Amino acid sequence: MNSSARVLMSEFAKDVVAWPEMLKKEKTKGTKLVGFTGRYIPEELIDAAGARSYLICRGGEPEPPDAVLPYMLRFMSPFARAQIGYHLLGIDPVVPMLDLIVAQCTDCHMARLADMFEYFKLPTMKVGVPSDWYKPISQDYYCRGLAKLKRRLEEMTGNSITDERLRASIEGFNEIRNTLGKINELRKKNPPPIGGYDFIRLNHFSFCGDVAEVAGKLENIHESIRKEGGAFSEKAPRVLLTGHLVAMGDYVVLNLIENAGAVIAAEFLDEGIRYPQWNVPTDGDLVKNLAETYYLQRTPPSRSNYAWSQRIKQMEQIIADFHIDGVVWYQLSFDELYSLESSLIAGRMKQMRIPFLKLESSYEYSREAMGPLSTRVESFVESLKKR
Amino acid sequence: MAADVHREFLEFTGFEKNEIPEYLPLWRKASEKLGLSGADISFAMEQWIPRHFDVKLKGVRKMIGAWIREAIDLTRTHEYKEQGMKSVYGILPAHATFYYAFKMADPDNVFVSFPDIHLVYVLNAFFHRLNPYLDGAEKAGMLYGCRHCALNKTRFWSRRSELIASPSVSWLWSFVCDEAAKTDEFIHDSCAPDWKTLVTTMPHDQPLGTREDEVDERVEYLAAQMKDSFESVQQHIGLKVPEEKIKAASDMLWLGYAPKLEELLQLVARDPQPLSGEEVYFFAEPLQIPFNTGIETMEKALDILIGEVKERVAKGEGILPKGAPKLMSILTPAANPWIVKMFEECGVGVPFPEGLMPSKKELQPSRFEDPYMAAAESWLKYSMTVNVGYKCEIICEKIETYGVDGMLLGFLDFDRWLGSDHRLLSKMVEEKTGVPAFYIEGDIWEDRDYSPEALRTRIETVASVVKMRKS
Repeated sequence: MNSSARVLMSEFAKDVVAWPEMLKKEKTKGTKLVGFTGRYIPEELIDAAGARSYLICRGGEPEPPDAVLPYMLRFMSPFARAQIGYHLLGIDPVVPMLDLIVAQCTDCHMARLADMFEYFKLPTMKVGVPSDWYKPISQDYYCRGLAKLKRRLEEMTGNSITDERLRASIEGFNEIRNTLGKINELRKKNPPPIGGYDFIRLNHFSFCGDVAEVAGKLENIHESIRKEGGAFSEKAPRVLLTGHLVAMGDYVVLNLIENAGAVIAAEFLDEGIRYPQWNVPTDGDLVKNLAETYYLQRTPPSRSNYAWSQRIKQMEQIIADFHIDGVVWYQLSFDELYSLESSLIAGRMKQMRIPFLKLESSYEYSREAMGPLSTRVESFVESLKKR
Repeated sequence: MAADVHREFLEFTGFEKNEIPEYLPLWRKASEKLGLSGADISFAMEQWIPRHFDVKLKGVRKMIGAWIREAIDLTRTHEYKEQGMKSVYGILPAHATFYYAFKMADPDNVFVSFPDIHLVYVLNAFFHRLNPYLDGAEKAGMLYGCRHCALNKTRFWSRRSELIASPSVSWLWSFVCDEAAKTDEFIHDSCAPDWKTLVTTMPHDQPLGTREDEVDERVEYLAAQMKDSFESVQQHIGLKVPEEKIKAASDMLWLGYAPKLEELLQLVARDPQPLSGEEVYFFAEPLQIPFNTGIETMEKALDILIGEVKERVAKGEGILPKGAPKLMSILTPAANPWIVKMFEECGVGVPFPEGLMPSKKELQPSRFEDPYMAAAESWLKYSMTVNVGYKCEIICEKIETYGVDGMLLGFLDFDRWLGSDHRLLSKMVEEKTGVPAFYIEGDIWEDRDYSPEALRTRIETVASVVKMRKS
């Protein structure tokens, strides 16, 4: 990233750090705060109700996943455990303020997390997301879930989610996605003007702030890197980072890869990131549009049934489009479906002669853990450089 | 080793003399396919089974024979496929009724099985030889470190190693964990493109404490899912199953077999406890798992066992002293038979498998005439499939009904759904009933990580606490 973009990014980061305080101020003025988990809860609905949305997606520290162990199985994903763990440790500034948590019930990990929110008396609404997404009956189930959410938000805020308000919200989020999409397109260049560490953080930042302001900040960064380029070497190997997700704060692995001399030129992740390829149409039945875009059109996440072959094809396309030299699979411990998928992808990458590195994290970045992790990443990047 | 260990094994497991000429060659071939050597069979017959099962009882030996009969059948799926037979596989938990209905609709041309559970029970509970399957699956991509389910590993490896053929369709009831359905996808994508799967599923999204069977919208959704899948399976196998066959299958299980099982459970509840919970569990499973060879062999074994246990009760004989505490487990870790035995050695019985004992509500007639609505409603009364708040309510009722001295949770550490609420449940149950609830991390299906040495101290401690609470 160039120096002027770096300055813009730093300013954005400061605003993100101050976001919980801003939310507190808004709450005192009567604005409702609505947290949500995962990728299936449309922020557009929350925004259109006049509430503030807050993505619950933190990670990268070892203590929060452990805090919930008296109530939860040890072999659950540390990501799911962490989302309630921060609250139990008293180090989540926003969750205690929330008027509602909308929890997507997709897989066992996220559904059990929703149970935990409820058990600990946090105001929770569960939205079921069937894994058999190809069936009309399941599509209808999710669509009805969104309709229930809409009613709940209207009751809670006292604001009617009119088509006009919802359309304006959708357009706002489409703008954010469009700008992130434009930034992402620039990464096809060699060298890319922005690496994965910054791009993923930008995605995270985009969940923290007023929609129009966020879109403006992203546009400024886009303009800066479009004009001035970035700081990576042309010879830096280009890596595709894939797996479940990079949570907010879990940046160790990204840094390791890019500090070792590679650049993360693309991602293929299931959560904690926006999907600029799929904007929500603003004509017709808007709730239906949200349901179709979020549930049907986007590449299905790993946990969806019959998803893997489609996902591998999508990954192959990214490898071609972004001129990828090697793939890093980043997975959380005990994320059983991703573990299965990684075996299939490792096999496919071998067929394609694309170097593949699987990294697994339990958010344990102690000195003892970092040594071997750094060595593996550095060796992988060195091997890419020699190709 | 015995001169003809295969023959002796069949005799030992209650095969009738007139059946042996037919079954001996089949068993020789099947045991070889299963990876069981003569030494393995000898070990099972002379040491493992007598150590863990009450083989003095003819009913128990015949029960083992019924499972062996089914295992033999399972090793013949390639042969059946070549003969043009249609096959439907499934997994636990499911309504076995539907699978029995397929079988009843065309007994000679339809094969039904839940292959993984049959293999796990037969290989681990009776031979302690499941490990090669698990090791094979781990080397082929279901990695050890991720704590995948042994059932899923076994299903994958049994297909990958060509022990079983791909079915006409695998109808998966993916209502509990996510991994089951995705394992089928893994099988398809990694080694068996002809492995077809139909998934019936529903999100875990009910508020804690919701009585899910009373939520009509949920019952309707589930009924529609069941109907859709049941009809799709019929299309896959080219067979129309009349609704009366569903009723016949249901009657066979719930009016024929279940009352006998209930009688056995009532006998086991007597003091002193006349029979181990280990055996009870194997008799309860045909209500959950379809037997392609039919339920009759198991039912005959159950009839014999009930007679034998009644005799013990009449004589006041028990496997534990009178007054010994009794625990209820969510599911008995029956595939690792030493666990229940270890409790019993410590003077505590584990006779009640909560997950296989009907609640009062489950015994009530359905609100619905439609078979799918009735099936959906009954599924949503079942403690294993509902939200943890409702599950707690059902468990507490059974604790009171059976007067148990403690609740045993755990042994499902691999299951991100069924196992992931046990720590929470142990707190909820204890708070609500005052009955001590114990969580033991372990694996119900395999014992590579939780060996007798590793669990002995924990089991001794639980036994000690429950005995002190009772005294």
